[in-house]
Amino acid sequence: MQNAKDTFYVALRNRLAILNPARQVEIRGVQRPAILVEEAEAPMKELPNDTFVLRWTAATALEDLPVRLMQLVCEVHYATSGSQPNAGLDRGRAMTEMDRELLDILTPMCAPKMSYTTTPATALATNVFWSEPQLAALETVRDQLLRVASIQVLAFDEPGEA
Amino acid sequence: MSTATIIAPLSLPLIGFRTRAYFAPVNRTSGTPTLFDPAENVTWNYSKPPAPWIDLGWIRNFTRTAESTITDINAGMPAVVKMQTRQKLAATVAFDFTTWSKLTMALATSSQHMNVLAPGNSSVAIGSGAKAAAALPLQATSTANLLYLPSGTSSALVAGSMVVVDEDYTGQIGFVGNPVSAAYVQSATAVGNDPDYIRRVSFNVGRITSIGSDGGLHLAYPLPGGVPSSTMKVQQIIGLLDREGGSFFQEWSALFVVEGVQGERLCFHYPLLQSCAPAAEMTTSMTQSLQMILPSARFSAFPVIDGNDGEQVICYRTYYPSGVALI
Repeated sequence: MQNAKDTFYVALRNRLAILNPARQVEIRGVQRPAILVEEAEAPMKELPNDTFVLRWTAATALEDLPVRLMQLVCEVHYATSGSQPNAGLDRGRAMTEMDRELLDILTPMCAPKMSYTTTPATALATNVFWSEPQLAALETVRDQLLRVASIQVLAFDEPGEA
Repeated sequence: MSTATIIAPLSLPLIGFRTRAYFAPVNRTSGTPTLFDPAENVTWNYSKPPAPWIDLGWIRNFTRTAESTITDINAGMPAVVKMQTRQKLAATVAFDFTTWSKLTMALATSSQHMNVLAPGNSSVAIGSGAKAAAALPLQATSTANLLYLPSGTSSALVAGSMVVVDEDYTGQIGFVGNPVSAAYVQSATAVGNDPDYIRRVSFNVGRITSIGSDGGLHLAYPLPGGVPSSTMKVQQIIGLLDREGGSFFQEWSALFVVEGVQGERLCFHYPLLQSCAPAAEMTTSMTQSLQMILPSARFSAFPVIDGNDGEQVICYRTYYPSGVALI
């Protein structure tokens, strides 16, 4: 299951880096594509602006198949306050841009599953695949616009997989 | 670089994305379908299929219904089953297209599909469109993407106009239309000797995207029939029309493809499909005031003779397993 989560994150991160190289965030002094996994970072008081934050929530297993099929729910949280030069008045446009980027990096809706516990990463046998996102209504908290997109991420639990 | 294999081949269920439809014309005169050869076409580009296949995009509610029947042959007293025989070979296919176009409308109706030609000066109303404004000849320098009218010709064509390019009707009997048989003319009288009749049903259509400084009409995509012949003329289309009624049945070759999430593919190939239901729509409510309207299609499958063993076949189902699947 961890391989599926890692694969999903890395696939989206790599696609974002190509789609919009300018969308970067500085984490612990390092510039990187502005997408991160919440459970793999230090606890945050509030969502960082202009960054996609992946939060893994529910998980179910389908056991009546030849190979167990794991179904995970990934919530992608993102927020923006717009840009300083525009005094935040462009926050709606900035949110629309993030919506579009998220939809774009989720296509195609599958990626070869990898194990990132080795260097270099090891290719596994199957693909991780996922659903179209369900975009929740926008929320406003002070100067921030916030959105949550929910995605069903599915992967076969391969025999011998850690 | 070698890739570590950590497991033996897996027995996996087929989980697929949506179904995609591809159609190709049938030579109606000879009854020859366009065959999808699963061996030759293993590297088929599903995003850009080879001519004459046309990608019609994702479809919804794809349903295959086998209507073939098998009956027992009994013998003895009391009667016991001695063998089985195939009594009937038949199948239908139904689905909804997600777009409206000349081709999806035509496939979703069981009669001729017509182009509504820009009208001339006739004041006589006709349900399928009044007599058309005169067709314009094309210069020999025209190509599949670029049409040239004779110099000095004035026309109502502008960027955005839809056009049809095909021959005059001059008394032909039988299948007419380029590059697809679009109708069957039983007699010149039946079509009123209308010189525009072939262009009224033709699939050789396009949309003008711009008009060049030399007067050339640039098309958004190449004409399906390729470079126009010297006898072809152009007319403006203002709409697309089908009818409840008529004596013609559309017949096409079809391929439906389900792409699996592990890279496998399931292909259903019907060499001969004829529309078997009148024009109908599937309506999906989106909000209280918005609805999505999709052309519904239903087809009967007809048999072909398989080239390997001479058996009559109406559908081929091919499964291309993924690289890890147990076979």
